[in-house]
Amino acid sequence: MAIGDINNDGLDDIYFTANQTPDKLFLNQGGLKFKDITKESGIIIDSTWSSGVTMEDVNNDGLLDIYVSKVSNYKTFKATNLLYINKGNNVFEESAEAYGLNFSGLATQAAFFDYDNDGDMDVYLLNHSVHTPRSYGSSQRRQIKDSIAGDKFYENKLNEGISKFVDVTEGSGIFSSALGYGLAITTADINNDGFIDIYIGNDFHENDYLYINQGNKTFKESISSYISHTSRFTMGVDIADLNNDQYVDIFSLDMMPFNHDIFLKSGGEDTDKIAQIKKDYGFETQYARNTFQLNRGNNSFAEIALMTETYATDWSWSSLIQDFDNDGLNDIYITNGILKRSNDLDYINYLSNVDFSKYNQSQQNELELKLIEKMPTIKLSNIIYKNLGDLKFEKLTENAGQSPSYSNGAAYSDLDNDGDLDLVVNTINEPALLLENKSGDTSKNNFVAFSLQGNNDFKNATGSKIKLFAGGKEFYKELMVTKGFQSSSSHKINFGLGNIQKIDSVTINWLDGTVQTVKNNTINALNTIKKETSTKDKRIFKETKFAIADPFMYTHIENTFLDYEREYLMPEKLSTEGPVGVPADFNGDGLEDIYIGGAKNQAPILYLKQQDGTYIEDSKNNFKQEIPYEDVDAIAFDVENDGDMDLYIMSGGNEWAEQDASYEDRLYINDGNGKLNRLPATLIKTNGGSISTGDYNNDGYKDLFIGNRSVPGGYGLSPFSYILKSNQKGSFSIVEKIRIGMITDSHWADLNNDKLLDLILVGDWMPITILINKGNDKFENQTKAYGLADSFGMWNTVSVADIDNNGQLDIIGGNVGLNFKMKATVENPIKLYIDDFDKNGQPDPIIFYNFFGHNVPFASKDKLIQQLPYLKKNFLDYNNFSKINSITYLTGKEEKDIMEIKKITELRSMIYFNPGTTNFKAVALPIEAQMSSIEDIYIDDNSASKKIIFVGNYLDYTVELGNSDANSGGIINFDTTGNFKSFNYLPLPKGLNCRQILKINKDKFLVLVNNDKSYTFEITNN
Amino acid sequence: MILKLFFNTKAFFLRRKELKNLLFVCLMAGSVITFNSCKENNAYKEKLQNPELFQNSMKKLTDVIVYDIFSPPVASRVYMYPTIASYAIMQKAHPEKYNSLEGQINEYTNIPDPTDENINMNLAAIHAFLTISRQLIFSEEKINEFQDKTYAELQEAGLPDNILEASKKYGDLVAQHISKWADTDMYKQTRTYPKYTILDEPQYWKPTPPDYMDGIEPSWSKIRTLVLDSAGQFPPKPPLSYDLTEGSPFRTQLMQVYNEGTGTDQNKRDIASFWDCNPYVSHHVGHAMFATKKITPGGHWMGITAIASKKSKSTFDETVNAYANVTTSLFDAFISCWDEKWRSLLVRPETVINANIDEEWIPLLQTPPFPEYTSGHSVISRAAAVALTRLYGDNFAFDDTTEVEYGLPVRSFTSFIHASEEAAISRLYGGIHYMMAIEEGVKQGEEVGQHISKNLVTLKK
Repeated sequence: MAIGDINNDGLDDIYFTANQTPDKLFLNQGGLKFKDITKESGIIIDSTWSSGVTMEDVNNDGLLDIYVSKVSNYKTFKATNLLYINKGNNVFEESAEAYGLNFSGLATQAAFFDYDNDGDMDVYLLNHSVHTPRSYGSSQRRQIKDSIAGDKFYENKLNEGISKFVDVTEGSGIFSSALGYGLAITTADINNDGFIDIYIGNDFHENDYLYINQGNKTFKESISSYISHTSRFTMGVDIADLNNDQYVDIFSLDMMPFNHDIFLKSGGEDTDKIAQIKKDYGFETQYARNTFQLNRGNNSFAEIALMTETYATDWSWSSLIQDFDNDGLNDIYITNGILKRSNDLDYINYLSNVDFSKYNQSQQNELELKLIEKMPTIKLSNIIYKNLGDLKFEKLTENAGQSPSYSNGAAYSDLDNDGDLDLVVNTINEPALLLENKSGDTSKNNFVAFSLQGNNDFKNATGSKIKLFAGGKEFYKELMVTKGFQSSSSHKINFGLGNIQKIDSVTINWLDGTVQTVKNNTINALNTIKKETSTKDKRIFKETKFAIADPFMYTHIENTFLDYEREYLMPEKLSTEGPVGVPADFNGDGLEDIYIGGAKNQAPILYLKQQDGTYIEDSKNNFKQEIPYEDVDAIAFDVENDGDMDLYIMSGGNEWAEQDASYEDRLYINDGNGKLNRLPATLIKTNGGSISTGDYNNDGYKDLFIGNRSVPGGYGLSPFSYILKSNQKGSFSIVEKIRIGMITDSHWADLNNDKLLDLILVGDWMPITILINKGNDKFENQTKAYGLADSFGMWNTVSVADIDNNGQLDIIGGNVGLNFKMKATVENPIKLYIDDFDKNGQPDPIIFYNFFGHNVPFASKDKLIQQLPYLKKNFLDYNNFSKINSITYLTGKEEKDIMEIKKITELRSMIYFNPGTTNFKAVALPIEAQMSSIEDIYIDDNSASKKIIFVGNYLDYTVELGNSDANSGGIINFDTTGNFKSFNYLPLPKGLNCRQILKINKDKFLVLVNNDKSYTFEITNN
Repeated sequence: MILKLFFNTKAFFLRRKELKNLLFVCLMAGSVITFNSCKENNAYKEKLQNPELFQNSMKKLTDVIVYDIFSPPVASRVYMYPTIASYAIMQKAHPEKYNSLEGQINEYTNIPDPTDENINMNLAAIHAFLTISRQLIFSEEKINEFQDKTYAELQEAGLPDNILEASKKYGDLVAQHISKWADTDMYKQTRTYPKYTILDEPQYWKPTPPDYMDGIEPSWSKIRTLVLDSAGQFPPKPPLSYDLTEGSPFRTQLMQVYNEGTGTDQNKRDIASFWDCNPYVSHHVGHAMFATKKITPGGHWMGITAIASKKSKSTFDETVNAYANVTTSLFDAFISCWDEKWRSLLVRPETVINANIDEEWIPLLQTPPFPEYTSGHSVISRAAAVALTRLYGDNFAFDDTTEVEYGLPVRSFTSFIHASEEAAISRLYGGIHYMMAIEEGVKQGEEVGQHISKNLVTLKK
């Protein structure tokens, strides 16, 4: 549907498209009264299949024209797209052929915008496709043109005096293939260079396209360089600023259910294998859920739908970002519902058993219809995510006047000119919805609306940017109308102002580069701004370069091993923990060298630092024979106190059973000249997690903690970890051997100021664990006493520093973060049940978590049945499976009878402030630090204002959880009393699978990345 | 249609009513005097002798296997154990006619003897069959429904309760015995063995369109064989080495699949479709996905066994014996074949053709989700044909109506071997196998079949 003022009477009119009945045009007569003027206005009345519609002034005569996309040239569908030229007096003349826009094919929607900044509207025709995903084939197929399914681009020649659009698809840089299954299109200046870019949402396995306008009438598809992952079945999209930072964000829709039983019986994410196959075919990472791409302002986006809990709105179509309650924050409106839910797994497996090959074509069609009738249907209430600020959203549905419907296209406009935006929704087989916005009745929020108008030199204002300064705040919008799903919205721009009473000024960036500032705008009214004729202040746009880290000479190569092909139910890989770097002066030249240990099949390398700060690969030490080992942690220390740095390396990999030779740790003794000789001693053979040193008994020799990561083959079980005491001659004896958790990091620190080093341990499914050193080789677990009993997390790293300058060491823990599919609180923890439920000698780790208020199993039915085949009998169909709400319901076993139960109650990365007494005070790191997992932390405590520098992301969760890829790293700045002051992103490429950050020089850091290059960058103190 | 149903229902009620009246009269009279008309109802005896009783049970099992979607090797296991239980009871019923399986089949021990004289051995065989079937399939209620209906019909035909109960009891006992043995065949353990990790090199198997399913049963060779000493007893020769250079033997065979495997020749197309036997074929239309379910290759040979035993007018016990021989052969043949499949890990023609010859090429049949070499249908069809030939002779001509209910026509064969050869070559016409997998598969099936013929002797000479 499209909304626009066709007769310039100040009231927006409405055009509805229909699939099997005629389209309709309604004239707004004020007071929310409309008149059907379809017939007298010259709109063609037939039952061809209309899809999208857009209102735009294509001939720059000041009147909105209407362009309708049609599905045609396929089976019995015969039609062309239609261009209704507005002749004034509410009369239109269909002129598609004359204008060269009579395309005939599988059209979805057209977006009119000015791609060459010449003041006339060019057009991108978005088409879908009828190919089936039978074969993913190579992504290279997107180079093959398709005449009815391929997207098209036409340049408007109006500015050259010709009333015609010319097909410039060839050479424009856009793909025009059958692979693109275009459902969504919208435009915005994504990279802020003054040229309008295009976002295309494609259904199925094809990537979404982000066409960056190159400024020379060509586009460059750049989705993978801007965005780490997208929605898979992208259906609707809108682009606008959701956090008032003046950068436009992208919100796109998919079909993940939020209702727990629909969720459990619907086809969801790809299996891990299929995801891998798609990747191999050249497709980017996609998940079957909504995505919220937060613009980081440096031509990259952080996807935060999981964190904002906006990721699941079921079968969703239109996404419209506007400030619906005029509180100064843009909200998100989403239409959803599906007449026929074809992804119901019971339907696929049990109801649809028909061999089509047995029937002739007409019988097949009949059968298809019958099958379609059998498909389950779902009516859903549309959703508003009310923006609460600070990236928090509240979900409103029925309480915001929404009722169950099969809603589809939608558009907004202040139809009654009362200052708030109303909504019109096109529904399937039911009357359309007109939703009058009543928020003005209950709130006193102010607003201001603008209408932008071009002048004779530059006629069409669509695409202009408007910045509003008021109340000490800035608000930013772009004038673009094609958005959501197959729809276009009002040309008027609305800003909600909340309680702001006065507008300081408004700045318009016209597409020709001129900038115009307007003062004296009236609030709570429509202000018309006409483009000035002066050409002063014409800006020249150019690409902004962003500081980016330099690649370091080391590249890590992870060996291919898929843990979950052995342990089907595990949520994360445990075989990709490296690389590990150890800075230490090995050759005694006073310069800190770096040892970097890698994955299996890759030899460790020792980099010797040179006087000029560069590094060379050490030739003295050849670690080639060490390639069977996967290095997961390492530490340099002087084992025998002979004045040189020795090296202890912890092996891991999770590939073999415990005690396999490839797990053996290694100790290298420095000969004093930088030659590291492996000590011929038998060390432990476990899947390592963390090693740390500390002289806990103050005898002058470093003692060790060896923390193990997992019992290979038994995800969730706690392996043995060890505290080892130095015997002062290069050997160690075991002081403690404890099963304490799946250890990822450890730290020795004196937490209670008794001059004895205590031990802090973190890992998966465990709290931040405090072992207090009681002297005489005795350690006592005082986690609870220190106030950490509720800190069960998926911790990756732990550090200590006195952040608040109170003379006590605080604990900083890097956790999985909030941008995570499973949610956890103390009241509703994620639970891991471990038992041999089917008595086959293998532990079965089964995870349950709270999914929108309901306890559900994490693993899919198919995965659970693979692990526990007997469950198939109990849960024959998905309907039955969808009722599971507890481990007892699933397995028949009571919680009390289950061998081991673990939990997660805290997902956030945290600081635990040490008050000097035992009870630590928990404070979460700022929201920017919760967008991804935090993998490693460096704390800069050179001054009283501390900085936490972290690296993040983890790309080795199962596909069901998805990549944690929203933040490669950041700096959190504190004031001298430990209050959060500011946040900056590190200048790292987006989406890195970071593992470690090392300070290698004053202000210079090295970041080690799994299966990728490593990077260095400098942080200048300011 | 509705009218007819109505009448039938009415007739049924009438019959029930009459029966009730009759029974009432007999009971009244019983204590005083025996009327001629109230003679014991012996119709059940005939019913219990009728091999159709076993045929129907087997058919029910096939239907449930199709509904529940079992892969071909797993289906062969689901067919085998219930059949062995029935055979064991038949052997106890006719010790003069049949040999015990103890000593002939790996780790198998004799079932307990029947002790209650009220046991009807045929009924016990049915009961044991259904009891084990129920354990191996998922949709238990479908077996329950069938069992209830079958027993009710027998009771209606006069089956006394004491015979029913005694037979059920013995059937349960045998089922327990067989299940205990079945439990140690490594099936349970192999459920959680590692999945196959895709190897990058082009000669190795990769998941295939449209669903890119995981490889089926990569550890099936770990399953305990019945008559073979091990999964690897009859290894076929290695496949031709992967070589795409023009004129290489591999390429020649690849191009043969490319040219013949899309069903352009109607005759070959018919053959390929007839023997498709893919238990789960998916169809994608936009977001919608439909699935078609069919019998497995093993299921097809169960159908042929039914045809042969019926045509030969086999008795109840002979029918069970035929199935016992065929299911044993199928079971071992699948293990032998799967052993080779997951050893050679050969890539499917569809994958190679799409990557190197023609990206758009689609085989006539949907490529099943496991490595190519050797052809399962070739191996198991031959092994089953050898078993049936031994029982019913060399030139046993028959009309194969097995696929009629799945919408395919009848095909006629001059012998079991004839049918098995057509099954083998159908995989080339279906575009899912190279010629070598068919030729070597047939050889492998022959070897497995002959070995079983020699080492599994059920009928006493």
